[in-house]
Amino acid sequence: MALFAVFQTSFLLALLSLRAYQSEVLVEPLPLTPESLNVSIDSAHQYLNLQWSVHSLAYYQELKMLFQIQISRMKTSNVIWVGNYSTVVKRDPVLHWSWKSELPLECATHFVRMRSRVDDAKIPEPRFWSNWSSWKEADAQKSLGRDPLFLFPKDKLVEEGSNVTICYMSRNQQDNISCYLEGQQIHGEQLDSNVSAFKLNKVSFIRKTGTNIFCKVDQKDVIKGIVLFVSKVLEEPKDFSCETQDFKTLTCTWDPGTDTSLPKRSSQSYTLFESFSGKKILCEHKNSCNWQVDSDSQEMYNFTLVAENALGNRSVSVLFSLTHRVHPKTPYNLFLKNVSGTKATVTWKVHPIGNYSTLLCQLDLLGEGNVIQQHNVSIKENGEYLLSELEPDTEYMARVRCADANHFWKWSGSISQKFITAEAAPSEALDVWRNVKSVSGRPTVTLFWKPLSKLHANGKILSYNVTVENLDRPSGLEVHSVPATANGTELTLDQDSYQIHVTALNSAGPSPASVIVVSGDPGNEEVEEERVNGTEDGFSVSWKPQSGKAIGYVVEWCDHPQDLPCDLQWKNLSSNTTSTVISSGAFRPGVRYNFRIYEISTERMAYLLEKKAGYLKELAPSDNPQVVVSNLTSHSFTLSWKDYSTDSQLGFIQGYYVYLRSKAEKECHPGFKKATLPDKSACCQHRIDNPEQKTFVMENLQPESVYEFLVTPYTSAGSGPLDAFTKVTTPDEYSHILIRIILPMIVCVLLIMITCYLKSQWMKEKCYPDIPDPYKSNVLSLIKSKENPHLTIMNVSDCVPDAIEVIHKPEGSKIQFLGASKSLTETEFTKPAYLYLLPAEKNYSGPGPCICFENLTYNEAAADSGSCGHFPVTPEALPGQPGPLTSPENLLKALEKNYMNSLGETAAGEASLNYVSQLASQMSGDKDSLPANPPEPVLCSEYKMQMAIPLGLASPPPAENSGLSSTTPLDQSEHYR
Amino acid sequence: MSCQLAILCLLTLLLPPLSRGAPMSPAERITQAYNLALSMQENMSTLLQTYLQAQGSPFSDPGFSAPELQLSSLPPADISFKTWNALDDGERLSRVQGAFLALTQHLQLVGDDQRDLNPDNPILLAQLRDARLRAQGMLGNVAAIMTALGLPNPRAEDTLGLVPFGASAFERKCRGYIVIREYGHWTDRAVRDLALFKAKYPS
Repeated sequence: MALFAVFQTSFLLALLSLRAYQSEVLVEPLPLTPESLNVSIDSAHQYLNLQWSVHSLAYYQELKMLFQIQISRMKTSNVIWVGNYSTVVKRDPVLHWSWKSELPLECATHFVRMRSRVDDAKIPEPRFWSNWSSWKEADAQKSLGRDPLFLFPKDKLVEEGSNVTICYMSRNQQDNISCYLEGQQIHGEQLDSNVSAFKLNKVSFIRKTGTNIFCKVDQKDVIKGIVLFVSKVLEEPKDFSCETQDFKTLTCTWDPGTDTSLPKRSSQSYTLFESFSGKKILCEHKNSCNWQVDSDSQEMYNFTLVAENALGNRSVSVLFSLTHRVHPKTPYNLFLKNVSGTKATVTWKVHPIGNYSTLLCQLDLLGEGNVIQQHNVSIKENGEYLLSELEPDTEYMARVRCADANHFWKWSGSISQKFITAEAAPSEALDVWRNVKSVSGRPTVTLFWKPLSKLHANGKILSYNVTVENLDRPSGLEVHSVPATANGTELTLDQDSYQIHVTALNSAGPSPASVIVVSGDPGNEEVEEERVNGTEDGFSVSWKPQSGKAIGYVVEWCDHPQDLPCDLQWKNLSSNTTSTVISSGAFRPGVRYNFRIYEISTERMAYLLEKKAGYLKELAPSDNPQVVVSNLTSHSFTLSWKDYSTDSQLGFIQGYYVYLRSKAEKECHPGFKKATLPDKSACCQHRIDNPEQKTFVMENLQPESVYEFLVTPYTSAGSGPLDAFTKVTTPDEYSHILIRIILPMIVCVLLIMITCYLKSQWMKEKCYPDIPDPYKSNVLSLIKSKENPHLTIMNVSDCVPDAIEVIHKPEGSKIQFLGASKSLTETEFTKPAYLYLLPAEKNYSGPGPCICFENLTYNEAAADSGSCGHFPVTPEALPGQPGPLTSPENLLKALEKNYMNSLGETAAGEASLNYVSQLASQMSGDKDSLPANPPEPVLCSEYKMQMAIPLGLASPPPAENSGLSSTTPLDQSEHYR
Repeated sequence: MSCQLAILCLLTLLLPPLSRGAPMSPAERITQAYNLALSMQENMSTLLQTYLQAQGSPFSDPGFSAPELQLSSLPPADISFKTWNALDDGERLSRVQGAFLALTQHLQLVGDDQRDLNPDNPILLAQLRDARLRAQGMLGNVAAIMTALGLPNPRAEDTLGLVPFGASAFERKCRGYIVIREYGHWTDRAVRDLALFKAKYPS
């Protein structure tokens, strides 16, 4: 027992001593200085990896501690970073921590030291920092080798827009190093004598294969480079949402944004994480992921989508209830049943969603692309709806889509089906109008109708039926069928009244009939036309009711009044209407439109009520009338343009302007006023206000003056073109008097000439006969009276011929007769051959008596000179007579002289006998004219054949004419007389 | 398919024909090798341009040239004329053979590098593959000439053993440039060598 007490006491003492020791330990600051600090470099990621241990944790399982770390660069005193690291130290106290350096670690030596402090609540305050550990050096340069230049970091991957620091390290401080980024030199900060750093801010993506940066040592063949791989920025997934079609699979979709892939580095990956279930799946696609819904019907889902690549991650979350994300599948089996003209039944099916879900389906009825009807139908699986109020013969499209009826999320895809309703009889009567005209004396009715609109046709119109009923003489109905393509027909009737029914037919039946009554009597067409003004909206036409029993009115016009056919149009108006606006897309400015207003009587007969004419917009005339000038005198002329039609112009012709201009007159005539033309020239203008006045007399003009005029019509929009003036020259004031004198004179001269021509034979006999009668010769009377009263005329019968002269024209004779101007001027004589009738001396060679007959040619030209006397032309006489022998006096003198000379020589005892023609002068009587050595004295009296020389072949004027009357025959053959 | 056909056709030209019937004479083998060298010379410029364009600046800059870049694992093609002229047949052919052996292996390495760096450039990859096949063809042709001339045929060596696989991307781009440039130089030298052999061993 005592032993037990001793043992117990010893145990308690030991326990107390232990507690006492423990209390002493805890009270002291724990000397937990980091030990075994080791620093290593991770070049690939540019990390400084620290590893250390903490001792003296024998009494604690774990202890929260705070470590303060200092990092210096280049030297220990250059602290570049200080930070704390808090962790729970356990029994195995080897700790790790990393620091990422911006500057590539290879470019500078780094130093690390740390100290620690207990930071655990188990340890009461105060707590003290331990001592600093010793500096640990991290130097990557030692393992670089002996290259002269290094560039870091190698193959760095960064995100576009981030900042990157690169550096180079040179072995030789004297080297001049230049660095380039994609060809552009970059400049950095020198960290050391042989280390420089370049900070690249917001690097941009250039190409997937990386951005090259290189440095080279000048003057040396050293080049070093790195490739900076710049990735596109990883974007947060957009439009992230999840939905289900069948409560079995949730399909999540998103827009991934830009692809961040690089060579050997795949694009971003996507992970879908659901927080309630804690499940996580890696998505196979970049923009969608399928999530299997558990059968335990989890209601709420909280999805987080994480996009991740080598540089980081982005995430987006969505929280939803599964029943609120129902997106039904597209309905199927859409059919149309029992399609009539106005109704149709639509049926369709949907894929069921769960056991209790109801779908809301939207049924659209579309016509011509527009939604006409819209119906909502709640269904489980099969849908059906009766569409009504449809138009016959119309194409529709039924379209169905569905959504969850309880929690609308999205419409399903749509299914549609086209269908056409059945035809029905046309619902409206045709709009019919007529035009009555007389063809060959018989009234011909042209019926026009407007095609039924699709709304009223209710189907394809097959034909039109026209039923004609004679109201005056009931004789049955006459039915005409008109093809569907026609919009009218023509009926030839007589003077009776007819009621015409027109209906349109389709496959379902005829339309209501349109009734019109026509009569052969066109009625009162003598209605005065009024004018109507056009506006931008059309023509405002009004009229005055006449009978008061009208059941309606019709306004009729032509859309194209200048064409044939003129495209007749009409407009029906109710009986209580007295005005309307006629508008048409065909209306054009400058076109005259004629409107006729008809009153429809209770008998459905149309009576012309009023006529209107107007222009949508009046235009200025485009051309001027053709003006005819008449009654031109020295002081006036008349202009007329009666062919000009005022009805077919571009506006209502209000009158005309007459323009007159003249260089001679500066002032305008009365009634004219000065005006300036577009070419700035001045002229005089006269206005005619009456469009029907189509003549104008220009008066008070100057004789022998040039006037220019122009007639142009004008409308309310202006006048016609002022370009083509017409010139008129007024005649001389006395010219008409001269004409009165000269014309009769010309007539008289002509009469005389005609008379002379008709009496030419008589004149010839009287004035220049072919064979002159010596007894009638004036010469004879002249000689008789002056010289010898006993001189008589010798008769031919008194002569006894004793010799025949044979005139022989030798070869080479130069006497010419025809054509030559000198034919009669030749002075060389041809020696004639004579056949003597009287005994003659042999070998007579000298001058001797002879009788020669020669018919001297006389000059017809001389006869034409106004004297009826004729005379011979002798070669000897003419040279001696300078004066022309054109006057009777000269002629008489010449003849007298020659004759006297001849007589004188004869009287002087010359042996030759000269026969002198009654007009012939002596050939050689003038001694002065004899040749100096005549071979033979020409003492013969010659009688040569007379012949008339045409005027054209007459000898030249007497001054040159020493012409000898030649006897040369025409054929130059021998000539016997 | 057409690409595979082209490779087959190329191989028939590159590889020395199997001895069927009468063996080829040395002159015929020399001519065949010479024609192959000419063909390689023709394609050289295109290959270099395609390669440089795919690497980016400064490689793709106009007129890029970096003669200072060298690879110790590749024998230099430059040789003084005197030395070259004094080479005997065996030495001349063995140098060509050694160079194309190294080029074949280096072109394989460059092809692998570019498959990493330019995976989306099939034209470059195809041209590198063709260049490697031609280099292999030249290797076989030279070996056949040596055999035909009765010259000792040295065993193939692994010249690429010391190539650093951990080279950076920029180093690999430079390496590819050097290999292709030297491939061109050795092709030019092979044309000259084989022209000499053609003259020496006329058919």
